[in-house]
Amino acid sequence: MATAVERRVRISRVAGRYLVFDIDDVLYIRRHHCICAVLTGTMPQNPTQNLFLSLPVELQAEEAQLLVDTGAGYIADELTDHMSRLSTTMDECTRKAYLQHIKQQRRNAQRVFEEEKAKVQAMHQNKRKANKPSSSTPSTEPAPAAVTEEDNLLFDNPKPTLPPSTTIPKEKEFSLPGVTPTTSYPLLPISTTPPAAPASSASTDAATLSSYPLYKYLNSRGYYTTPGLRFGGDYSVYPGDPFRYHAHYLANSYRWDEEVAMLDLVTSGRLGTAVKKSFLFGAEKPGGQQSGVDGAGEVRVFCIEWAGM
Amino acid sequence: MSLDDDDNPSLAPPPSTTTSPSSPSHNPPDAVAVATADDLTAEDLIEDEGAATQDFRAFAASLSRQQQQQQYRKTPGVSAQTIRKGEKDFESHGTRAQADALEQSRNAMREVLSYTRVHPAGAKVRGWYFPDWWEGYHEEEEDDAAGRAAAVGGEEEKERKPFAFVRERVVVLEGSSVASQALGRAVTGQAKDRPARGRDWLLPEEALYLVERGSLDLWWPLKGLEEILPPDRAVASNEGGEEADEYEQGFPLSLQAAYALLIGNDGERGKISLQKFQVYSNLKRCGYNVLRAPPICKQPAPAPSQPATTTLWQWFSSLLTTTFNQPPYGPLVQPGLYRSYASIYRQLALLPRHKPSPACSASASPPTEPFTIHYNIWKSAQKWTKLRHPPPDFHLAVVDAQQSSVPTLSEILPLLDATPPAPGKPEWTGLGRVYARLKHGYRNVLIAVVDHGVINYMRFAQGTFGVEEVYGSPRRTNYY
Repeated sequence: MATAVERRVRISRVAGRYLVFDIDDVLYIRRHHCICAVLTGTMPQNPTQNLFLSLPVELQAEEAQLLVDTGAGYIADELTDHMSRLSTTMDECTRKAYLQHIKQQRRNAQRVFEEEKAKVQAMHQNKRKANKPSSSTPSTEPAPAAVTEEDNLLFDNPKPTLPPSTTIPKEKEFSLPGVTPTTSYPLLPISTTPPAAPASSASTDAATLSSYPLYKYLNSRGYYTTPGLRFGGDYSVYPGDPFRYHAHYLANSYRWDEEVAMLDLVTSGRLGTAVKKSFLFGAEKPGGQQSGVDGAGEVRVFCIEWAGM
Repeated sequence: MSLDDDDNPSLAPPPSTTTSPSSPSHNPPDAVAVATADDLTAEDLIEDEGAATQDFRAFAASLSRQQQQQQYRKTPGVSAQTIRKGEKDFESHGTRAQADALEQSRNAMREVLSYTRVHPAGAKVRGWYFPDWWEGYHEEEEDDAAGRAAAVGGEEEKERKPFAFVRERVVVLEGSSVASQALGRAVTGQAKDRPARGRDWLLPEEALYLVERGSLDLWWPLKGLEEILPPDRAVASNEGGEEADEYEQGFPLSLQAAYALLIGNDGERGKISLQKFQVYSNLKRCGYNVLRAPPICKQPAPAPSQPATTTLWQWFSSLLTTTFNQPPYGPLVQPGLYRSYASIYRQLALLPRHKPSPACSASASPPTEPFTIHYNIWKSAQKWTKLRHPPPDFHLAVVDAQQSSVPTLSEILPLLDATPPAPGKPEWTGLGRVYARLKHGYRNVLIAVVDHGVINYMRFAQGTFGVEEVYGSPRRTNYY
């Protein structure tokens, strides 16, 4: 826990959007900062479905701002960082480290592949032996260890299938599988040193976002939020990790003096009730920014439910 | 074998996912999934996807680090199903069971998402990032667009290839892949001594989508294109060079780097906005064929046809006014003998109604961002190729949820005008199908609203109330 707090999450800013690529970072902010955000990438293991998605995670500007404010993350402009590293002036050291890292991953992948292959081959061999003896000599079925010896003795044809399993890896030694790592970790500075961080993490445009105070208020009370598009609000608000809980509220943020149309309340209230949520709206009291601690003004929040009289 | 499983319509949309979970479902351990597949609820689809995630688990476990894999296998209760599926609680009640369930979900998520994309040595498809190669192609492309516009306006001459967005193409494919049937484009008409002649070039969204689904190994070049893909396809010598030091020419890029290089703001050459990419990959995952919509050519052809429609309208209205000579004063309905309500209603119709026509409406203004057609979409079909395809099934605009609001009439009209007229099916005739026709509209366009990765598709259609004369229906006249 103590070490985890030290962690600084790299928030990649790509064309004004905030992404997180590192699975450890994603779990860290989920665990410690009540931010689950949205998985947006295609799942490489099963790329033809939309229910389970993969990295990167897209953060809302408010979420990125919150991480920067609490010092848990820093915003890095991904394009400039990459271009500065990728251009030919890249120093030999980082490049070597990066290539070494990739090579290591390729070797790992190769090893796993080989193990899988060996396992499959073993399975096939077992099957074949299970089949063949059952047709010819059913008595050999129960003891597989005995079968292999017997097999080698009795049948010549399975034997040629064994040597390839040992020769193939040698053949593949210089054609390792390619690897696309998720993060460019050794290439980029893993965590910019704290003095350098504030410069790059100047701040998002979320500071000017009107809904930031409400978001911060909800987050500080342990609520998780996701984009509210599904239920027609600014946020869907969960009482805990959305893995375990359904959303309780759909939230909209208003300015303190903003006139809220009665119809908005009715429509949102009805919609919320229809999906078993209540409609939450809130605003920040003006002037709180000067008096409050680190910009946290007083936020008032109300809930509306359809009375169903 | 189990027909009920295959007949399940709720499982139909993603074909490849249904086949993979159904085949293991014949195994005894998954018998539960087979049993529940009978009732056709959405729950089932999730259930089935849950079965698919067991594939993820095996997949991820086999590829992640070895110790983790074993650790993972040892824990008995963990199921990847718990990632999103499963019973949710109303609120936290502080029990250990709840905490454990949450922890399991998180562990399963880590397990699945820490997968590293691997390209087997045999089936490796490599792409090189050359963002500036086609930068100077601009002029010719404009010519091409103009010629195309002329072709569309005039008679359809010989089959022209769809607009290629050559300037935007930034990744060259080394070798061919299955994906290049639907993605990428070779730039024809190149001199023989040009490097990478005949190779497929990918648009940023195509490249990123392929990288993401693990079908493309994107490389950063350290040398020029002439050296990496020499013009005369000296394949043998090239491969020999690779064996010596494969990192001499360049090195593989990460997913993060691919995002950094290929995602950009709207209008940046060789990049695509994140929202558009998310919509693109969402549609591709669903199995649709998606291509960038060609730029809207300033059609010179409709201009002459414009007076024709107005005269038609004038003629029609003049016809109306002559038959029911509407005086400037007096009763709205002329006294007289009426045998049906139709003629009375016709006299009551004072305001002209909009009647959709194939020609563009009077507002000839071009669509404005973001309400322009960004993608053309086809349902998946066997015969579809990137070069030869029927007119698209859908036209789509991508819009950000925060940065835009409901389109105004002046935004939606040019957008609809940019789509071809698509009246409903021909068999939708008669009174019984009035609502089907009205709902379908004369032209329609899809708008994808993207809120930080969550996508919502909406359909805007041009209602054809102007052509549905309910009062003229035979049933009504028979009654009275």
